[in-house]
Amino acid sequence: MVDSTNVPGHGSAEQSVASAPEKEERVWHAGGLEPMPIRKLPDAPPAIHLLGPTVFLVALGVGMGESYMWPRLVLVFGPEIRWLFLIGVTLQAVVMLEMSRYAMATGESIFMGAARVFKPLMWFFFITAMLVYIWPGHLSAGAAAFEEITGIPWVVTAIIGMVLVGIVFSLAKVIYSLLENVLSILIGVLVVGTAIVASLVGTWADLASTLGGMFAFGYIPDGALSAAWFPIIVGSVAFAGPSGMQQMWYTLHLRDSQAGMGAHIPRVRGLRHASEEEAMPSRGFMFDTDDPEEMKKWRGWRRWVASDAVLMFWGVTMLVTISFTVLAQSAARQNPQVKTLLENDQEDAALQAMSDAFASVGSPVLGGVFFGFIALIGLNATLGLFDSFSRGQADMTYHFVKGAKRFKMSHLYAGFLWGVIAFGILILLFGPADGPAAVLDTLAFLSAFAMGAYCVVLLLVNNRMLPKPIRPKLWTNLVIGFGAVFYLGMLFYSLFRFGVVL
Amino acid sequence: MTNEHLVRQAELALPGLLVGVIAGAVAGGLAGLAGQPADWAIVGMVMLAVPLGAFGGGYSLLVAHRKVRIGGFTPVMLYWLAGFPVARVLHEVLTRLVMTGEPGFPPDGVGFLAYQALVSGGFAIGFLWLHERIAPRLWRRYAPRNPDAAAIYDAYVAYARQFYEAKQAKNARRRPVEHES
Repeated sequence: MVDSTNVPGHGSAEQSVASAPEKEERVWHAGGLEPMPIRKLPDAPPAIHLLGPTVFLVALGVGMGESYMWPRLVLVFGPEIRWLFLIGVTLQAVVMLEMSRYAMATGESIFMGAARVFKPLMWFFFITAMLVYIWPGHLSAGAAAFEEITGIPWVVTAIIGMVLVGIVFSLAKVIYSLLENVLSILIGVLVVGTAIVASLVGTWADLASTLGGMFAFGYIPDGALSAAWFPIIVGSVAFAGPSGMQQMWYTLHLRDSQAGMGAHIPRVRGLRHASEEEAMPSRGFMFDTDDPEEMKKWRGWRRWVASDAVLMFWGVTMLVTISFTVLAQSAARQNPQVKTLLENDQEDAALQAMSDAFASVGSPVLGGVFFGFIALIGLNATLGLFDSFSRGQADMTYHFVKGAKRFKMSHLYAGFLWGVIAFGILILLFGPADGPAAVLDTLAFLSAFAMGAYCVVLLLVNNRMLPKPIRPKLWTNLVIGFGAVFYLGMLFYSLFRFGVVL
Repeated sequence: MTNEHLVRQAELALPGLLVGVIAGAVAGGLAGLAGQPADWAIVGMVMLAVPLGAFGGGYSLLVAHRKVRIGGFTPVMLYWLAGFPVARVLHEVLTRLVMTGEPGFPPDGVGFLAYQALVSGGFAIGFLWLHERIAPRLWRRYAPRNPDAAAIYDAYVAYARQFYEAKQAKNARRRPVEHES
């Protein structure tokens, strides 16, 4: 039988007796919500399995931080600043492994885990997601890059893109499978493409300094602690890889990819196929952690997700930033003005400057290539973001809003998806894309605060809601604890010392 | 060597060939949009896409004939460690040859090759990523008329089948004791 500490408020195992004595159902009590029935853990996929749901995290995470913010910091402070990137992405890889621990052991999302600890925690994330992710501003970088190469106004591209996303996700039979295929191809093209471009323009020296800089631990340049740069540097570390609530959404993708106990939960379908969806259970499941066979399978799943975290997430994120950093160094070598522009200017001007620098020195191809990749990154992020937002909000609504169970999960998903698309189109046509200027700081604050908050939630959920044999080890708790202190500490330090949000 | 044999080998090589050509064309194709002189853009694109496609096709053949492990990282890394720098040298030399009439090797040849070898690691990961998405689907399509394609496709599904059967067998063994404990 599973662990039975049975401390009030903690996870505990006990047998509940159903109507017939011979049909005793064994359950795992975790927090205040409905207990989880014990079911068999499926076998882990063989090592050959190359791709997992990490593809979503890569699609969401490889964004402006990787293609713009870090190359910019390298040009301003030198390649040695990249040791901070190494720390930021490694921390996110550990967060990813810990997010997967709860999701694979229970088939529940981390939002449900948070509700098991303390329901208002879950509502905090629900509201934060609504406030932060409903604005269509995230579309602007990719669509603007597309405008640079095609001349089509970015608002037009953004609106067409949103409607297309809505239609495709509504027609899909199983949304997860469709999206995994599309994103895999797009990210594959991004990886081979950036590698080729880096091979065309970079040099041995650029690559050596970029790689060497990752291990210059402790290097803090003079200007880095100024009011102008400190929040940018800390923000770049915090947002290296997935930022905001993206890691939490990853637990929903894990579940839909049928990883671990997620195999016992039906998958979310497109609106057209919503009627085929099986009834969604009101809680997840637990496996028997006292059975050595089950624990062997669990270790198989942990190995599977670890290889996903290291090879796919950490490796691809590193590869893309290294390539973009090599590109930026090459641009600065060819046109020293780039560095000045990057130091002083806003994102748009600096992106244009990087593109121009590539184009100006004998290879006009590179200007277009640069914008092409920014557009591709924007497309990946947009596809992933619309799906993830709708998935997360639908999950919380279904389980915790009274009367929502009348609908199928697929209906709620479609409701949130078309809701955010309709709102996005209205805002693009008539309002500020990033949100009203007056609340921009609040939104940035909430996004960073959510990251500190999910580290705390992870510690609570994994150490209190799971049976002892599958709880995290001490070193993992220390890393996640460091994450909580780092994200929240730096956020408040920056706020009080410099009066600036990350 | 009969025509039929050649067609079969071409079908086996197609997945890697496609990935290589697409990869080369992504960089080259965007060149046209960026306003590079059309002749340079097209020649550069072809000179990069062709060798990458040829090496990509070679890798597919190696997989299809079981000379390298399906989906393995090490073999694909080693393959492109050699293949990628060669493809880039061909790209540089042949583009200049076609456009100016004189072949030109990039300055600092050793540094150039060493850098290309390092970058090849990144290319190899992306290549494998795409190859493993595309290859089983294409080979499945050719399987009815191409026994080699059928064999390699079977090898891909064998993992899944083995895995599924083991799971079924395990479940069957356990079923009688399921309600105990």
